[in-house]
Amino acid sequence: MNRGPGGEQPDPPNSDAPEDETAFGLWLRRGLHQLFDDVANEPIPEELLRLIEDDRDKTQS
Amino acid sequence: MTTFHSQVIAILPKLRVQALSLTRNRAAAEDLVQDAVCNALAAQDSFIPGTNFSAWMHRILRNRFISDLRKRRDTTDIDDVPAASFATNPTHEDNLALKDLSMALSRLPADQREALVMVVVQGMSYEALAEATGCAVGTAKSRVFRARRQLEAWMTGDLPANDKLRVKVSALRAAMDARQRSGQRGEDLLG
Repeated sequence: MNRGPGGEQPDPPNSDAPEDETAFGLWLRRGLHQLFDDVANEPIPEELLRLIEDDRDKTQS
Repeated sequence: MTTFHSQVIAILPKLRVQALSLTRNRAAAEDLVQDAVCNALAAQDSFIPGTNFSAWMHRILRNRFISDLRKRRDTTDIDDVPAASFATNPTHEDNLALKDLSMALSRLPADQREALVMVVVQGMSYEALAEATGCAVGTAKSRVFRARRQLEAWMTGDLPANDKLRVKVSALRAAMDARQRSGQRGEDLLG
């Protein structure tokens, strides 16, 4: 594998589609969803929502 | 009409996923999202309505992560963050495989991990990923491709003999197998 500093030399896959339908690709997708989906679905902290709403009120007044 | 602030609130779940992919730590991810939102609110006048808000917001979070990392570089090594931080529900039937995946993900470079998660979990196109991370489409593709290939190599055992991850995973598997053979549960090993 050609991996220079930062590993940035394009070494693109054959397909333009992000989906990887190989057995490993399907397993990886399932695993990543298990690791990350609940983070996305957790309630947003009240403090953060208040921060945004306070700013909205401030900019609209 | 969708206001700027409504767009910020709507994108928060995706920012959390991006933040966790970068920091590998839930508490740090929450802090990063909050800091990025503060930066976005402070810079809202620079956002041009009608342009890509999602990309603008993801770039702010990413830049904040990089900025924080530079400030901490003298005292903290990001790679010292515990790999177990990704781990979620320990009672899941696939928990051992998830633990393996969590550890392997932690070893990926942050930009590859972020790219993989944004494409696979968030369903982003390579073009959207490139815009959200401020790189060329070819670079975005390359990051995802390298991440997938590296994870597959690690997860299927194609590792150097002295690889620390494999040693840890092998030890964990052996301990779990021993517990199962003796009729004991092994979930506590994953905590």
